[in-house]
Amino acid sequence: MVILERLHELLQTPLFGTSLSVGNLLWLVVILALSVILARLTVTNLRRALENKISKNELEILLKLIYFTIVILGVVIALPNIIADLSGLLVAGGILGIIIGFASQSVVSNFVSGLFLMAEQPVKIGDNVNVGSISGNVEDICILSTTVRTYDGVFVRIPNEKVFNSEITNYWANVARRFDYMVGIRYQDDAGKAIGIIKNVLKDHPFVLQKPSPTVFVEELGDNGVNITVKIWSPARVWWDVKIELLWKIKVALEAEGIEIPFPQRTVWFPEPLKMDERQKVPYEKG
Amino acid sequence: MFGRHDYSFQYSSDSISFGIEPDGDIYRYFREIEGGEKVEKSVVSQRGKLVVCPIEPVNLPQNVATYMEIDFDPLFLEPFSKTTLYLTFPIEIGVFVVAKKDIKPLDVFSFIPQKYSLYGPSNGGVISRWVYSTVYAAIPEVNPLEYGVMQLTLHNTTREWVEVARALFEAYSMKIYYSDELVSMSAGMRILSSKTAETEFFKEPLAEGMKKAIEFYLGRDIPVVKHNGMMEWGLV
Repeated sequence: MVILERLHELLQTPLFGTSLSVGNLLWLVVILALSVILARLTVTNLRRALENKISKNELEILLKLIYFTIVILGVVIALPNIIADLSGLLVAGGILGIIIGFASQSVVSNFVSGLFLMAEQPVKIGDNVNVGSISGNVEDICILSTTVRTYDGVFVRIPNEKVFNSEITNYWANVARRFDYMVGIRYQDDAGKAIGIIKNVLKDHPFVLQKPSPTVFVEELGDNGVNITVKIWSPARVWWDVKIELLWKIKVALEAEGIEIPFPQRTVWFPEPLKMDERQKVPYEKG
Repeated sequence: MFGRHDYSFQYSSDSISFGIEPDGDIYRYFREIEGGEKVEKSVVSQRGKLVVCPIEPVNLPQNVATYMEIDFDPLFLEPFSKTTLYLTFPIEIGVFVVAKKDIKPLDVFSFIPQKYSLYGPSNGGVISRWVYSTVYAAIPEVNPLEYGVMQLTLHNTTREWVEVARALFEAYSMKIYYSDELVSMSAGMRILSSKTAETEFFKEPLAEGMKKAIEFYLGRDIPVVKHNGMMEWGLV
């Protein structure tokens, strides 16, 4: 009993002649220690859980944010033990919060957009995309920004808010895509034969998909020749390679069978036969 | 051609010549297919072996698919029926170097052209290696360097007639067995409704003495979650 009374007296003993007692100080230390332990435990477990889901840089920022939030909460809980009235601090904190809020609204907007992008996943790392006016491959999706490497190898950082609000075209979101050619042949060529030749070229290419099958048909009787449309489905990851490879193969195959691509031409009718001076013919005849 | 060989292995036929030969302290692997590309690679090894075996047909000309689709003439299966038939499937040939229980792919080639297809819609389907096969009642004779034989057990678990004209398989799950005369796989197809089915492979060679082929994805150290193939976009 005596020990308890002594301990109680000790805890009530004012420090440095102020209203702050040993007990208050001890309570403060215990709460701060608990908040630090809780913060470390939370951070350790979150690191394990999110290690493979968020990039290392973002993870470290997020963990630091969570760590200091918990510690500050601990301080806020512990402060009434040493300061009687926190209202002044709360008012100051509120004003500071408003200032920080206004100053960092774009950061918060990007952060929230990043969270939505990660949840919705309209683009993934490695995808071939078009975001607004920027086209290229997605290199990284961070919490505040998305990095795109353009086709000419330029690094472009796009704030997530802009990505989220832009029109996104993802060329690799679907496993297959279609592309078209327009192949012109001369009027004297056999369009049916040309279609057969083109179909054979497509049949021999591994990445011209069997299903949906390619479509080849006469689209238009044009000014200079007969226009044949070729519609081809290909795996999305290789469609560009297939597109640039096939057109030349079609051209070579058609020419090998005597079917030629027409040149622009005009037939001009004169009301009377043209009279050509014999002297004017000489240079042409001489070649 | 198939099997485990030491570093003196060489194979030559009308269509291909390939093998490995010493060049000082290293070995030179070479392969030349008639009218095709020429491949040369250097190997630094002392006690390794060369393994040549059939592998999953989804690697050439480049890997864009993890499925294989076999189309065949339509079969009409009565309710709750179970039947076994034989199909052919294309193979690719893998050349691996093996040493101290580690495997590394050195080369992949094939004697037949490849064709790919889309199973399902473009926004939810899958790209697959495509092949057409005749349906056989017994093991057909095929060139083991070009095609393998698949024993397929079809099981209609529904209470209605079902028409089947194609089967889709997950390439990561393939269990290929080989001998000098035959390359084989054994698979099952459980028909769950008139439009859905589940396919799987069994660890069963079609003849005694056949060896298990190296699973290419294990050889490439690619972590793979194996699961059965699901056909959700129709059986015809």
